[in-house]
Amino acid sequence: MKYLAQHSKVLMHSVILSSMLATMASADNGEDVTVLQVAQEQNALSGFQLAGYASFGYSNTKDVHDGSFDLVNFSPIFHYGYSDILQFEGEVEFSIAADGETEIDMEYAAANLFLNNYMSLTLGKFMSPIGQFRQNFHPSWINKMPDAPVGFGHGGAALSSNVGAALRGGLPKVLGIRHNYVVYVSNAYTLEVAPDGDVDIVAEGSTANNNGTAPTFGGRYAIDPIGGMEIGISGAYGKIADLNSSSNPDKITARDYNVLGADLTYHIGNFDLRGEYVEQNIGESTDPLGIEGGKWQAAYAQVAYQIDMLHLEPVLRYGFYKNPELEQKQTALGLNYLFSNNIIAKMAYEFGNRTSPDEDTGVDTTIKTDKFLAQLAFGF
Amino acid sequence: MKTLLKTTLITLVFCLNTLHAEENKADVMNGAQVWTDVCMRCHNLRQPADLSTRAWKFSMNHMRIRAGLTADETRDIQAFILQSKSTVDGTQ
Ligand code: HEC
Repeated sequence: MKYLAQHSKVLMHSVILSSMLATMASADNGEDVTVLQVAQEQNALSGFQLAGYASFGYSNTKDVHDGSFDLVNFSPIFHYGYSDILQFEGEVEFSIAADGETEIDMEYAAANLFLNNYMSLTLGKFMSPIGQFRQNFHPSWINKMPDAPVGFGHGGAALSSNVGAALRGGLPKVLGIRHNYVVYVSNAYTLEVAPDGDVDIVAEGSTANNNGTAPTFGGRYAIDPIGGMEIGISGAYGKIADLNSSSNPDKITARDYNVLGADLTYHIGNFDLRGEYVEQNIGESTDPLGIEGGKWQAAYAQVAYQIDMLHLEPVLRYGFYKNPELEQKQTALGLNYLFSNNIIAKMAYEFGNRTSPDEDTGVDTTIKTDKFLAQLAFGF
Repeated sequence: MKTLLKTTLITLVFCLNTLHAEENKADVMNGAQVWTDVCMRCHNLRQPADLSTRAWKFSMNHMRIRAGLTADETRDIQAFILQSKSTVDGTQ
């Protein structure tokens, strides 16, 4: 009872105080109030920001003549921050499938708690820290080509995302050299046979209690030996859930799984160099009829040069992708026009080939996959 | 094994906390240096005038995670960007 009386007294005081303040504010002229509001907004501890990117484009495969406006993508990124304590970031990717249906993909949604100068804790679904492309170069205004290198798109050799927890940050300088790290633990990936018969590593973390397998541990360590350069090595170790045990379709088997990655980026003057290698290794199945294990590997090297005066940027990229069933090679030439640093028109021609066993005969056959692409991309 | 992992983690966080003497003054010169070293590596430079002061605060925390920066480096770069912003385009 005493508590209640005290409480209502405080309440009364604050009502009086706020009405006094309100009278003072309304006596002020409108302009001052606006300035005050802006100042309050600037200084608020928490807030939202919308960032992201979008791209629209056309592609035509030479031998198939399937020319169409098929590169439509809109990826809003939502940030919520509370002071320097927490930052939430979430990206949703909208794209249009061949049949016109809208496809929605949650690229990432993760909370980052800043623990100290050198460490933050990431929880949720985050981009795979293995290598660089998936995490840092895939947004269309960042990627200097209209598409991903072979093996670095969804369902290739490169890993997409993880569901789990990560510790990451910059480390204290050693001999004046900056370096940074990520270590993570996440749910296991799955191995599936796609409707077209291709074996896919579903390198997006699932939430299915690791499908009865163990969690995956991984990380990346990188140094910046000189300005504009970063050299990184990354790896992961765990089990992968095989959902296709053919002798017993209901049984999920855990198979050995490890990943290795190496990457290099160097931006010097108007030159931009990028290269990356990634491999995922899957152990053999205990099931004699199970899917063959093996190595999924992909690599690319890219060089670009910005001609400031003309706002032009020629790009050259070479890449390969190999898994137990298929082999792809590609050399791509591109030319970009920069309306501004974040609004870019791209044109590219890709010379490629793909070798895989023929569906009927089982004999390895190679087809050409030469392709023309054009795209307008921007980041906001 | 699990307890060992937990203890190591907690000790690590604690050590890193004490290692970093709290100092809150932004070093704009250092910010300029790290900005030139880091901010062109992954993507074309985003000019200070591109974003509002408020948006820079969120994007810098975002880049702290992406680019593996320390909190001090993030603060210094932000101070440098906001200083260039107010001198170049007169906005705050
Ligand atoms: C390791 C690669 C990397 C580095 C280094 C990097 N960025 Fe970014 N940056 C990105 C990615 C990736 C995005 C796109 C957003 C996404 O996909 O999360 C981005 C987006 C941005 C945006 C757009 C707004 C937003 O928040 O998405 C701004 C502004 C930006 N970066 C500024 C900077 C500055 C300033 C630096 C220097 C400290 C920097 N970046 C260094 C990878 C990087």
